[in-house]
Amino acid sequence: MSVGHVSRAFEAAGIPTVIVMSNVFRGRVLAMKPARVLFTRHIMGRPLGAPFDVERQAHVLRESLRLLESATEPQTALLLPDAYRTAPR
Amino acid sequence: MPGETFKEYVDSLSYGSRTDLLFKFLKNLPEEAAERFLQSLLRELGEVVDTGDLSSLFDLIYEAQLAGYSPPDEETRWKYEDAPFAPLKKPLSEMRVGLLTSSGHYVLGQPHAPPELAEYSQEEGTRHIGEYGRAKPFLSAVPVDTPQERIGVHQPGYDIRAALKDRETVMPIDRMGEMEAAGVIGEFARTAYSFIGLTSQIRLTKEDAPAWAEKAKTEGWEAAVLVPV
Repeated sequence: MSVGHVSRAFEAAGIPTVIVMSNVFRGRVLAMKPARVLFTRHIMGRPLGAPFDVERQAHVLRESLRLLESATEPQTALLLPDAYRTAPR
Repeated sequence: MPGETFKEYVDSLSYGSRTDLLFKFLKNLPEEAAERFLQSLLRELGEVVDTGDLSSLFDLIYEAQLAGYSPPDEETRWKYEDAPFAPLKKPLSEMRVGLLTSSGHYVLGQPHAPPELAEYSQEEGTRHIGEYGRAKPFLSAVPVDTPQERIGVHQPGYDIRAALKDRETVMPIDRMGEMEAAGVIGEFARTAYSFIGLTSQIRLTKEDAPAWAEKAKTEGWEAAVLVPV
């Protein structure tokens, strides 16, 4: 849960953060009380999406930035509904 | 192997004789659940042969990983009562935003790990994870104009195959650049960072993460996107 620790240090230093991660680690990171976290229904090691799935990667990042900007209180978490997929051909 | 139990087989997938970092979570499941998963995996593969539809297979792996990485509350090591929260002071479209990941990306030819771990290949690293767990965290700088072919990955904590094929799966440098171009963020900080997430959490918490936050501030970061694997 390294990034959870980094997030806490950044927030304490006054830098707002959003964590973008697979929902499979949900329990571990929520126990660390993160400021803002966007979860994806993606397989471990592919939090933004599959290789070359530019559309999904952009969507995840855009939603993460939206969460970063809109959250008004700590422990704001959002799970995107989209299931993992390979890049559309 | 002759005489090997199912439990021993499953355990060997997690930093054992059959290490498979995508499926190492099976070691965390009750034996019956691991058995059900493998049986379901074979069934879904049989379906894919006929339909080519991978969605059920992906769902099966995702749900099993979710179960495998959901520890009972009493086994959750890192729990905190406080929740540090820095509010945004202005719109993101006016802010410099940085990117930091624990994916172990680095620029080829540059130092990418503590000296005592630097000679290990990814595969060798999986045989020395105890050393990683004790090591001082190591932060790699990745200029955001670095082409994909000049970026490597070293992180024995996870299955790096997707990250090697396309860094954007976990280190979205190009996607962040697109957000800058679209005006969603004011500016993408010119140097992104990555570290080997499998590292000493004590050292990270007490020394390195606070130092990295100060470094980010000196580089003008006003917000950060953080990506674990």
